[in-house]
Amino acid sequence: MNKTLLGYVPNESPIYAVHPFVKLYFMLIVSLFPMFVSAPEWNIALMLVIILFMWISKVNMETLKIYIPVAVSMGTIIFISYTVLGGTHPEFELLARFAGINFYWERIRDALVVYFRILPMIFTMVFFLNTSRERDVIVAMRSIKMPFVVTYVFAMALRAAGMVLEDFQIVRQAEKARGYDPAGKSLPYKIRQYVMYMVPLFALSLRRSEDFTNALVARGYAFTGDAARVKRADYILTHYSYKYFDYIFIALISLSFIALLVLRYGFGYFVMADSWLLRLLHGWLS
Amino acid sequence: MAENELYIEVRDVDFVYPDGTQALTEINLEIRKGEMIALIGQNGSGKTTLSKNLNGLYKPTRGEIIVDGLNSKKGSITQMVRRVGYVFQNPDHQLFNNNCWDEIAYGPRNIQLPEEEVKERVEEAIRVVGLPDSYRQEHPFFLSKGLRQRVAIASILALRPQVIIVDEPTTGQDARQSLEIMDFLKRLNEELDHTVIIITHDMPIVGQYARRVIAMGQGRVMADGPTAEVFTQADVLEQTFLKPPQITQLAQAAGDVGFKAGILTVEEMVQAYENLN
Amino acid sequence: MSKIIEIKDYSWKYINTRNPAIHDINLEIEEGSFIGVIGPNGAGKTTLAYSINGLIPGQYNGVKKGTVNVFGKEVEAYDTGSLQKLVGVVFSDPEAQFTAMTVEDELVFGLENIGLNLAEIQKRLDWVVELTELEPLLEKPPYEISGGQKQRVALAAVLAMMPKILILDEPTSMLDPVSRSRIFKVLARLKEEQNNTVIVIEHSLENLVPLADRMVLISEGTVALDDNTRDFFQKGDLLLDAGIYPPGVIRFFHELHRKGEYSGDYPLTVKGGAKQLRVMKGVRDKDQ
Repeated sequence: MNKTLLGYVPNESPIYAVHPFVKLYFMLIVSLFPMFVSAPEWNIALMLVIILFMWISKVNMETLKIYIPVAVSMGTIIFISYTVLGGTHPEFELLARFAGINFYWERIRDALVVYFRILPMIFTMVFFLNTSRERDVIVAMRSIKMPFVVTYVFAMALRAAGMVLEDFQIVRQAEKARGYDPAGKSLPYKIRQYVMYMVPLFALSLRRSEDFTNALVARGYAFTGDAARVKRADYILTHYSYKYFDYIFIALISLSFIALLVLRYGFGYFVMADSWLLRLLHGWLS
Repeated sequence: MAENELYIEVRDVDFVYPDGTQALTEINLEIRKGEMIALIGQNGSGKTTLSKNLNGLYKPTRGEIIVDGLNSKKGSITQMVRRVGYVFQNPDHQLFNNNCWDEIAYGPRNIQLPEEEVKERVEEAIRVVGLPDSYRQEHPFFLSKGLRQRVAIASILALRPQVIIVDEPTTGQDARQSLEIMDFLKRLNEELDHTVIIITHDMPIVGQYARRVIAMGQGRVMADGPTAEVFTQADVLEQTFLKPPQITQLAQAAGDVGFKAGILTVEEMVQAYENLN
Repeated sequence: MSKIIEIKDYSWKYINTRNPAIHDINLEIEEGSFIGVIGPNGAGKTTLAYSINGLIPGQYNGVKKGTVNVFGKEVEAYDTGSLQKLVGVVFSDPEAQFTAMTVEDELVFGLENIGLNLAEIQKRLDWVVELTELEPLLEKPPYEISGGQKQRVALAAVLAMMPKILILDEPTSMLDPVSRSRIFKVLARLKEEQNNTVIVIEHSLENLVPLADRMVLISEGTVALDDNTRDFFQKGDLLLDAGIYPPGVIRFFHELHRKGEYSGDYPLTVKGGAKQLRVMKGVRDKDQ
């Protein structure tokens, strides 16, 4: 099992053969697709395609269950903000009136469109994070020639996050060992106790940061000046090489995007007005 | 004498972490009041896991731990913490109050003691650890490592547990500081009747202060007995990658000269040498 | 043997303290020697170490008096990054030194910083991995390896930069005995195979004594004793007064000496001690 940023992918997954840049490119380009697609059925199809990719990459599908509550709560928030807080327009069609609030078809329709635009965007991100180890993300960034400082700060952030998580576990136990019993206490109480976690975490980080900086300097890292402009050999990239299928994937992704734009603006595909799903729904609700 | 009274009974305990790693296997132990025990073993041998089972932070996945008649699986945090205290290795992990006084009061307040009693206990703990008065209102973050450690110990002492487990009291300390903290723990044990368990790698300290040694390896108890006895079991110690303190090694290496294998301190060695004449 | 570190009348006061952390330091270190620096916590050992590799005054504010010369040049006279190529430092906290996301990246970080090309990096990587036995850990992220392993990585990462002077500031104080002896094993191998100058600050004297040619005692901010290892430990009373507890064997013979029952050199190892005891008791050495 290899630990990726969000989950585990078994060693034999085909996704490892793909150059990390391709994964990053996929995420960046494909997450743009929903911006040009308003008909929800197409976005739902896109989401299913991404889930299919995750399955092919042997991502543990059980972990996707974690996102269900997120999806549900997000959908609820979008629905409520559009329908209850959305405001009206004289041409809107009133579908129902409930508890003093008017429910207009156009608002419901807009909520659905937005919701199914956001979901695939999130899923591309989830797909990327589920199939990339920390090193892949860094390699992807370096391969597009991002400045070393940026990739390094990102790597350090990951490292720091890991350390903070480890510390957090110990701090929880230490406070429990002093009689802190969260069972049966109210949520506001627990939140007020946050200082019990924050202070130790800060203290630990502060004490480490001095050592950290010293270690960086001692390894010859220069933040400014001539030494900072040294040409880095980027040894990490030697482990990754582009293979023929990487180029094929990049081409496919780029072509799909272009095709999408052509179909959308040239031929008017993917618009709300033509959406059979929306028409269906409208029929049910009226 | 009180020190013979059984206080903690560990019966056939296994512990498996949620991710499946088996950390403890078939642990059987009896800990009596007033003992001074060193818990030794390489990293990963299970000594920290065992200690956290003893104070209720972890519950055994099989078997039972009975502390002063209370089953650790059934006892609440409040009940367990008043019986077994655990001082973490790095005081930074637990200190968070604005001043030392409140820091030490945190424990007693957590277990809902009346403020009068909290005050009494804090004063006593400050006295026992020898925290100078000038530090009462200081923020713990700015104290030296040694003082922070004392505040951490005081905050556990204020809960008045019978058993005190101290995780690596001498790591990172110089010789003088190590002896200071160990002398303090010895006083806790001999004068104030606490049962003291130290988790440590520092073998000379073990030889000098511990009366009983529990050596762990691969999640099991590999040796358990009086210090001198355990130190003579070189093969067992080797299995958990430990060596007896240098002075014991010297006695064992010079066995043919007449030295007994269970010598624990330089003083004992000198005595033995003089007795050989 | 040339003197590559020359410290004369050196004192350093951190900006926010009233008294200097170290004062009147006079120290000369020859190329290729293995020095042990010991002393109570707070005595100034780390300050001294940081002064040699330029972290002081580079990263810290304060008042410097006297001179610290490395390879004949004052520490401040070096361009940024050039002194670090000559003097490598391993710190005591394994967590705070590991800055990359895999062991291999960590080893390569310093090499990239000093501008080496791929071929050179590969060569040095192979060498240091073999020396420190890190082959099985190369792909692992920091959260999957132990503190002792991280410290080995830190040592390897510094060694890969091939500094002429290697300073280790309490490298094993946070490690268990197994990891501790592994680090010293690497140092022993290094001493045998290379000609680095090594300065080790340690509390764990048992492991240090067999390796050190020379020992320096820092107490209350200044050099209290500076001698070759054998003669250093003969001064038992001075060491005990300064709060140093030599390893058991040495302390035993010192005790005997204090009682007037022994007057020779103190053996520095268990084997040496046992041998001496046999001689003293007229028991035949079974190794002979």
